[in-house]
Amino acid sequence: MASIRNIARGLRSLFRKQKVEQELSEEIAAFAEMAVQEKMKRGLSREEALRAVRLESGTVEIAREEVRSATWESFVEDIWRDFRFSVRSLRKSPGFAAIVILTLALGIAANTTVLSWISATLLNPVPGAARTSDLVAIDRGDRDGYATPPFSYPDLRELTEQTQTFSGILGYHNDYMALTGVAKPERIFGALTTASYFDVLGVRPILGRTFLPEEGTPHAGAAVIVIGYAVWQNHFAGDPQIVGKTIQINRHPYTVIGVAPRDFTGCATGLRAELWIPLPMDRDVWGGNRIDYRGSVWLNALGKLRAGATKGQAEAELNTLMQEIVERFPEDHRDRSNEISLDPLWRSRFGLNGFLYKILPMLLGLAGVLLLLACANVASLLLVRSVGRRREIAIRIGMGASTTQIIRQFLIESLLLGLLGGTAAIAIAMWTSRSLVAFFPPSNLPLTNDAHIDQRVLFVTIAVSILAAIIFGILPALRSSSLPVQDVLKEEATSVSLNVHKSRLLSGLVVAQISLSLVLLVCAGLFTRSLLKAQQTDPGFEASHMLLASYDLSPAGYTLETGTAFNRQVLARLSALPGVESVTLADFSPLSFSIHSDYLEIQGYVPQPHEWMEISRAIVGPNYFRTLRTSLISGREFTEADMPDSQFVAVVNQAFVDRYWPGENAIGKQVTDNGARFTVVGIARNAKYRSLTAPTEPVIYLPIYQAFRSAKETTIHIRATGDPLTIASSVEDTMHQLNPELPLFNVNPLSVTMQLGSLVGRVAATFASSFGLLAMLLAAVGIYGVVAYTTRQRTREIGIRVALGAEKRGIYSLVLGQGFRLTLAGLVVGTALALASTRFLKAQLFGVSQTDALTFTTVGLLLAAVALVACHIPARRATRVDPMVALRHE
Amino acid sequence: MPEKTSDLIQGTLDMLILKTLALEPMHGYGISIRIEQISSGVFKPNAGSLFLAVQRLERDALIDAEWQPTENNRRAKYYSLTQKGRKRLNDETREWSRQIAAVARILEAS
Repeated sequence: MASIRNIARGLRSLFRKQKVEQELSEEIAAFAEMAVQEKMKRGLSREEALRAVRLESGTVEIAREEVRSATWESFVEDIWRDFRFSVRSLRKSPGFAAIVILTLALGIAANTTVLSWISATLLNPVPGAARTSDLVAIDRGDRDGYATPPFSYPDLRELTEQTQTFSGILGYHNDYMALTGVAKPERIFGALTTASYFDVLGVRPILGRTFLPEEGTPHAGAAVIVIGYAVWQNHFAGDPQIVGKTIQINRHPYTVIGVAPRDFTGCATGLRAELWIPLPMDRDVWGGNRIDYRGSVWLNALGKLRAGATKGQAEAELNTLMQEIVERFPEDHRDRSNEISLDPLWRSRFGLNGFLYKILPMLLGLAGVLLLLACANVASLLLVRSVGRRREIAIRIGMGASTTQIIRQFLIESLLLGLLGGTAAIAIAMWTSRSLVAFFPPSNLPLTNDAHIDQRVLFVTIAVSILAAIIFGILPALRSSSLPVQDVLKEEATSVSLNVHKSRLLSGLVVAQISLSLVLLVCAGLFTRSLLKAQQTDPGFEASHMLLASYDLSPAGYTLETGTAFNRQVLARLSALPGVESVTLADFSPLSFSIHSDYLEIQGYVPQPHEWMEISRAIVGPNYFRTLRTSLISGREFTEADMPDSQFVAVVNQAFVDRYWPGENAIGKQVTDNGARFTVVGIARNAKYRSLTAPTEPVIYLPIYQAFRSAKETTIHIRATGDPLTIASSVEDTMHQLNPELPLFNVNPLSVTMQLGSLVGRVAATFASSFGLLAMLLAAVGIYGVVAYTTRQRTREIGIRVALGAEKRGIYSLVLGQGFRLTLAGLVVGTALALASTRFLKAQLFGVSQTDALTFTTVGLLLAAVALVACHIPARRATRVDPMVALRHE
Repeated sequence: MPEKTSDLIQGTLDMLILKTLALEPMHGYGISIRIEQISSGVFKPNAGSLFLAVQRLERDALIDAEWQPTENNRRAKYYSLTQKGRKRLNDETREWSRQIAAVARILEAS
């Protein structure tokens, strides 16, 4: 029982060790003395009495040790002694310690880095929210398509009102808004939300309040706003009186009612929202009245499960409710599957987690393999080291150390190494955990990444270090504790050699290292080949020499007419700039998740029931196809003449024709979008706008002057004659002259911004490759170490061979052969492991089979070559053995 | 003096020490002698196991210790029962009697 008194006494004897021990000795001595006196009273001489007492009770020292060793503090003390011993022994071999710590640090840091990302995204989907474990993302429709908001307001309201399994459901729509009425208007990502938004998430404002139910009622509502912490700090200098003040969003006044907590950036993981406005304000913010229409599908939804309700029940209930709605309003639900599915937030499709949940666990798996390899590497180093310590250990066993004590000593040394490695790993990961953000190119998406080493990651890292220490420490410890003491002590110090068990174990560890590094290299190879394949695919446009720059007309107060006039001016002025080959405008840019989609009615095409007719829709300016070098298969592209008063025209891509008008002449056919009828005048080659690796999908292009959408950003696409960045400043100057108030943002080459489209592939390839190269390095060092070591052990044998006339070639191949056999075994095992594990990568590969022969062969040959080079060094050394020296050695 | 001393059942030494100290405070050797005398030499705890048990009892706050001079001008730790120790002794005595009676019944039944 660990009473306070027990702990207090224990601490006293730890810190006042001498006094406590002396008291105990004194007490036992007094006991013995009294026993002696007693016996002397009975007539024994003092000597006889002393001997009798010692026979009965043992010596004072033994008794004292018996009493002392029963306490918990003596255990602590033993550990502490072992610990100090370990520190001393490691300090005596700093090279060994450094290599082990570095190896472990790299292996652990890889895991810590990936864990820090997982912790910041998958495990912390809504920073600043009280609890997210009972929150689910409510999605509708098939999961294969791109995440588009699943609900209309009327549908979501009915679900919210009728559900019994949710204690609350929130809906929101994310988009950019502009903070106007300030010196420098700024685009800020924000959300229109249901009034329940903050309550469902469990987010309390740090100032003021959040929305009242009546503020979310359609046609009522209130022009109120909750602002994010960063907006409050950066734009209003943290004004403590901000609540109640009026600010302008998209040139409409809003009363600030609250400030969100610092961490909170909305509930789409990885996207930073900083303004929140009730849904009915849609009409002011984006001039829409989507809230009235069942057919306007624009809201993402999250629900909080009622206590006791399961996800399965909730899913079944929502599907029943949804089915009822669909039966009442079949017309509004034709376009899309109406099946509702619930996802935990770590794999919600709204936000970055939809991508990350596929790749981060995979990276963690690869990092785990790397750590296992590092453990095998360290285990072999420890094993070799323990051979050199055989005499020391044998002496300790001879002096009475128990098996447990020897194993404990070894494990404590391993733990020390593991924790030092873990500490170094945390230092490395403090830097690498921030590297995820380096994969995000500049883009119009408000991406946030605050991956860092939080408490959870720190805790897991320490646990991993300890686990690793046990993994690599246990084998050498067990092997050393069962030494045949007699034999070892009889051995000459110099003739210490490996026993069969140990050399088998060492070989096994080398084989493990080779095979694990093969697995990692194969993964690296497959990812890299996928990425290259993806980048070699023809995207259908030419990205080189393209400069992009974006502006947003709606918050600046442009109407359809003034906006059109402004856009025409932009095109005229920019195309006159030197170094500009051609210019166009678009409401999106390729491969940056910015293309929009619309619900289309296609002449002559009858959709299947619940066929999703929301099709990618690009609004582009004149000369779009010429500027992007996307060739037209037939017909014409848009010109300055396609104005609101002329015939409404459209261009569709080949995939569109193949899908909806197979075998027909598309030119002249009509498509209805937002109530306007467009006639197809051109067919374009397929171009990839969402992802290089996804199959091409149908796209419709509409001319910017005929399909002007307010509140959407416009991106200038410029084809430069030379390096696009050289014209960036003249473009900026020109735009500033046209309207000094209008912010121009994200001025970047297309080749840079389109990197966003291959984010997952680049993250996978980069990390798998660095893990793979590290693994190869470790395996090479591992096989070198073991072959060099065993060769040194055989110096005498080699000396005899040379003395008996063995040729240098023979000696060389003797040593190399050993390394070669180990390598071959590693390659065979590794290939089997890799074949078994790469099928988990299948979904992430593009254009490469998971059993790609080229990758497997190349990696195998590379690894074999590296291993043989590593063995070459000890083999060469062996050929230089001088038999005289080798034999005299003993 | 009997030829053979018995090993104590695990845990009973604690009880015997408590019982011994219930009469008066005593030092380690006194406890040992008292147990030996009362058991007519059946139990004879040696210094190691005695002080082990004493240390355990002291840490559980069942007994207190105090340094005092002995008759022959040395000093020794005198142990005395605490309130908690007295209660524990009563509990254990009752439990012990119950078990002995039960064991006896079983042995007689066969």
